[in-house]
Order: sequence, then structure tokens, then C-alpha cells
Amino acid sequence: MAEQSLPAALPAAAPARRSSGVTRFLRREGFGIVALVVLIVTIIGPLSTVFFWSFAEQWRYPALIPTEWGLSYWGETLSRADIRRALPTSIVLSIVVTLLSLVVCLPASYAFARMKFRGRQFFLLSFLITNAFPRFGIYIAIAIIFFRINLVGTFAGVVLIQLVNTLLLMIWIPTAAFQGVDRALEEAALDVGASRLRVFMQITLPMVMPALIAAVLLTFVGTFYETYGALLIGVPNVQTIPVIMFPLINNQPIPQPGAILSLVLFAPSLLLIIYANRLLRGGYLTAGFGV
Amino acid sequence: MSTLKLIDLHKRFGDVVAVQNINLEVADGEFLCILGPSGCGKSTALRMVAGFEEPSGGDILIDGASVVNLPANRRPSAMVFQKYTLWPHMRVFDNIAFGLKLRSLSKDAIARKVSDALALVGLPDYGRRFPNQLSGGEQQRIALARALVLEPKLLLLDEPFSNLDALLRVRLREELRRIQRQTRITAVFVTHDQEEALSLADRIAVMSKGRIEQIDKPSMIYAHPATLFVADFIGTMNLLPAAQAGDMLQVGQRQLPAGDAPQRHGAVTVAIRPEDFALAGGDMTAWHGQIEQVIDLGHYRKALVAVDGLPTLKVYLPKAREFSEGEPLALAATRYMIYHDGAAPQEVRPHVNGEALHLEAV
Repeated sequence: MAEQSLPAALPAAAPARRSSGVTRFLRREGFGIVALVVLIVTIIGPLSTVFFWSFAEQWRYPALIPTEWGLSYWGETLSRADIRRALPTSIVLSIVVTLLSLVVCLPASYAFARMKFRGRQFFLLSFLITNAFPRFGIYIAIAIIFFRINLVGTFAGVVLIQLVNTLLLMIWIPTAAFQGVDRALEEAALDVGASRLRVFMQITLPMVMPALIAAVLLTFVGTFYETYGALLIGVPNVQTIPVIMFPLINNQPIPQPGAILSLVLFAPSLLLIIYANRLLRGGYLTAGFGV
Repeated sequence: MSTLKLIDLHKRFGDVVAVQNINLEVADGEFLCILGPSGCGKSTALRMVAGFEEPSGGDILIDGASVVNLPANRRPSAMVFQKYTLWPHMRVFDNIAFGLKLRSLSKDAIARKVSDALALVGLPDYGRRFPNQLSGGEQQRIALARALVLEPKLLLLDEPFSNLDALLRVRLREELRRIQRQTRITAVFVTHDQEEALSLADRIAVMSKGRIEQIDKPSMIYAHPATLFVADFIGTMNLLPAAQAGDMLQVGQRQLPAGDAPQRHGAVTVAIRPEDFALAGGDMTAWHGQIEQVIDLGHYRKALVAVDGLPTLKVYLPKAREFSEGEPLALAATRYMIYHDGAAPQEVRPHVNGEALHLEAV
């Protein structure tokens, strides 16, 4: 259809050979072009607006890009006392939660994948169940309990509430990855003389590593962004970046601080995207999963 | 080089008996095949030797020393698995070198041994490749190299070629035999493919339902199956229900001599190979049947012959003569075995003066 109608629509002067080349190009790349436009409009558009705002000293309506650029709002925003406290809190919290869930979940997911025990299915599903209920209800219930045992407003309390979210990811992804490692591969390593520990370290672990890194990054990013749990349990002493973003955006007549904090929050997921990209391109994924 | 001895080896999984009191000896440098249908316990037996399954009882001796209490990683055997088990995150070189590195050899020694092993399996330049760049046949050759490079006392192979296509399977089979002859390694090869077993093995152990039915040379297994199961499982066999009365057998419409079989009265089974038939002359009592179907198998022809009162007979026909479907045929058996519960089978070669079909087993 397109092949027939398109050359007819072109100016008669256009040489026939070129027009068929254009047709072929559009037919081959048409979907890609549409996808690109949709991507630009829906993702890069809003993101670039945020990006521009963070560096804008002045940006009045008809201008497509800021009329005055500068870093003064960056300095101003990042030197605010609450943000200077919240940024390290957020980073340390994310690291602690990630490491803690790694310590808890790695052995657990290996057990889920490799051992048969009573209640295996039940426990595996129980991690899903916390996600099947309205998150806020669970938080409030937990908050009431934490209040009684003096965990509200403490760093430990916030760590615990974050674990509620991260456990699912950190159990299910590595469990699936461990299950994906064929036991025969481990037996083959045992057979040539490797100890159980060496088999785990040199055969099993490298093979689940891509999935493990993905789970760790997702956990880190998820904790970094998480707002409600941190808000409910953290007040008033522990404040993370997302928690202080709300009043900041609501109480400020100018958009720059919100834009700057958005970019700060974006940094870890940018790392995640870069890593995922490398993973897919480098063939490590396919090599690691034995595809 | 070394020997393997299994003594009363058995294995239960809960109530299921997978392997029942196996006794077996493999001589130094011998190539033994364990042959049986799937689920007969042959893989379980091999995995007990390798150390991946713990025996419920019995003993495993390698070179006269018991290994049942040794974990898999300390047994002097090496295994090639049915699945492709090269480690995907390591290059071929590192796959083969993995076991050597555990043995604290010098770098040079490792490199030399790996390249020798690669040459042995005919893939000398494959060291730098990743397993996912290899075909299935190449992967199994590398797996073989990985096992052989450790110079194990015992090479164990668990249906290593069953995932490959037929042509490649035959080629690798020949290559394995060459390598085994060259290295003089004692090998135990598990398979459900009788052709594989018959062509590879010095001796075959036929297993069924956890028991060894017969251990013998391939030619003997074929010519003198010790049990009805082996008779049915190995090669093509006509199993005919028969009634014995003293020294005579009633098989369909025809009477056959029972030879030296013990005098008894009752039901027995007569087993006849498709090549052990002759076209009967006029004066002979014979089975009169009709050719149902002629199947040309290239180097010989097989006919299905319908005979009243008997299962359809499978008969090999000479290529020199034309046979057509529907043609009547009078058949006599030149050789058969008589099976009776528990008793040793009796071979009978009756005197037949008909036109022998002169067919060799193919």
C-alpha cells in the first residue's frame, strides 16, 4: 500500500530511483521513527524540562530554553541545612538496607532454590503477600507497633521498614537465578575435584552474578526513592531526600529546588540504566545465563 | 589404569528400589556399557560410582579400595554428563584447566596438558572460545577432554551423545572408542541405545528394573540372550508363545523339537531372530503365511509375515530374490531359543533342508 501511494504523492520531478529509496527507508525505519518521536515527547521532553529548570536563573514563558543559565540555585538548594542532612542519610540508608538485605536474602534465596523444606512455597509466597495489600495500611500497622517499641524516629526503624519492600526483590530475583543454574554444572565441578565452597564461589556465584547485581541496584534505587515508609517511621529525626522534597516543592514559589532534587534522585537510576545497557550489550548476560 | 568392582550395590529412593544388589567387575582398560531402558537404574548406578548418589548399601571398589565414603570431589573418577555441562562463563581453556588448577600444577604444565587434551579430542584451536560458541558435539568433546585431562582412574559416561543427532552420534562414538583404545582408560558408559552399546563395548551389562540381566560380550548378548527381557530388548526378535510337551514344542500350527531343553509340560516362549528363518521345502512342516509388508532397509529387506495363530513374524529376506506383498511363504526356523521362567534358555538348531535364506545378522 505505502509502496504504491507514496511515490505518487511525491513531486513528479523527483527521480524515480530516489523516491523508491525513500519508500524503502520509511518502510524499514518507520516504526523506529515513530517510537523515537513518542520517546522524545513522553520521556526526554519532561526530563529535559526538569534539567533546564535546575540550571535556569530566569525562564519566561515564550522562550524554549532558559533565558539565563547559572548554578546559583544548585548552591542554594544543596547548602540548605535540611538537604545537607538528608543527602547522607539517604545514601547511608540505601547502602545499609542493600547490604542488610543481601546478607539476609542471599543465603535464603539459595535455600529456596536448592533445598526442599516444609513451608518452602508458603515462605516464598509470604514475601509477595506484603505487596498484595495496600502499602500504606501495612505501614500504619507497623508504625503503631514501632511506636510502642520506640523505633519511630530512629534510623533502625527506617531500615526495617525499607526491608519490607526490598525483601521481595532480593529473594525472588536471586532465587530464580539460582534455580536457573543447572545442578549438573555444579556436579561437573565437584567431579573434577572442587570443594563445595569452591563450586559455589567459582561456578554458581559467577553465573548468578548478573541477576544479583540487578537485584542489588534495584534495591538501592528503590530504597533511595521510597517515601511513605520513610515519612511515617522516620519523623521527626530521620529525613531522607524524598521526604523533604514534598514540603520543599509545596512551599516554594519557584520550581528550581524541586528540579535540582529530582536530578539528584535521578542519579542512581541513571547508573542502573547504564549498567543494564552494558549488561545487555556486553554479552555477559547471555554468557552468564548460558543462553 | 585400574579396575572397578561393585559389590551388592543397591539404592532405594523412599519405597522405590532404583538399583537392586548389583555385582559387577570392570577389568583394567575395559570398556563396559550399561544398557537398559530409561528408568532401569543405570544412571543411578553410575552416579553412585561418581559419588553423586549415596548407595543404600553395598560397596564400590576402585583398584580394590572402597570409595563409598569419599565425596564426589575426592573420587578418582571423571564423568561426562548427558547434559552440556561446560561452565558458560569460562573459556574452553579454563573449563579444561579448572580441575588442573585445583591440583597446584605449574602454569606451563597446565597449558601443555590442556593443549594435549584438546588435540586428543580433535579440537586443538578451541581454547579461547566460549561454550556458547560451540555446537553440541563440540561441547561434548570438550567435556570429554575436561574429564580425560585429569587422567582419572575411571572414565564415566552418562549417555553423553544422546542429545546429538544420529550422524554425529555415530561419529563421536567411533572417536570415543579410538580415544579409549589410545589412552587404555577403564570406562563405564551408560546408554539406552543398543546400537551404541553393541558397537562401543568390550562387554555389555543389560539392566532392567534395577537388576543386571546379563553381562557379556556384545556378540554373546545378541546370540545368546540370557533372559526373555534381553531377548526382547536387544535387536529384533520374534517372541512366540509355545506349549512344550516333553521333547516337542507346539508353536502355532507347527511342531518343533525342544532339543536338549529339560522335559516339561506347559507354556514356554520361543525366540527366533529374523535372520534365523529358511524358506521351507515341500517335505517340511512349516509355518504357512503371507507377506504383509516388505520394508527395504538398504542393505537388507525385512518382511512382516502373517501366520495363523502367531504374532506377525519379522523375517529378513535376501535381496537377490524378488518378494511381493501378498505372496505366500512357507517358513522354517533354523535356530531358536526356548525361554521358561527362571530356567536358563536353551538354544536349538534343528536340521532344515529347505532353501536357507542365508542371512547374516546385520
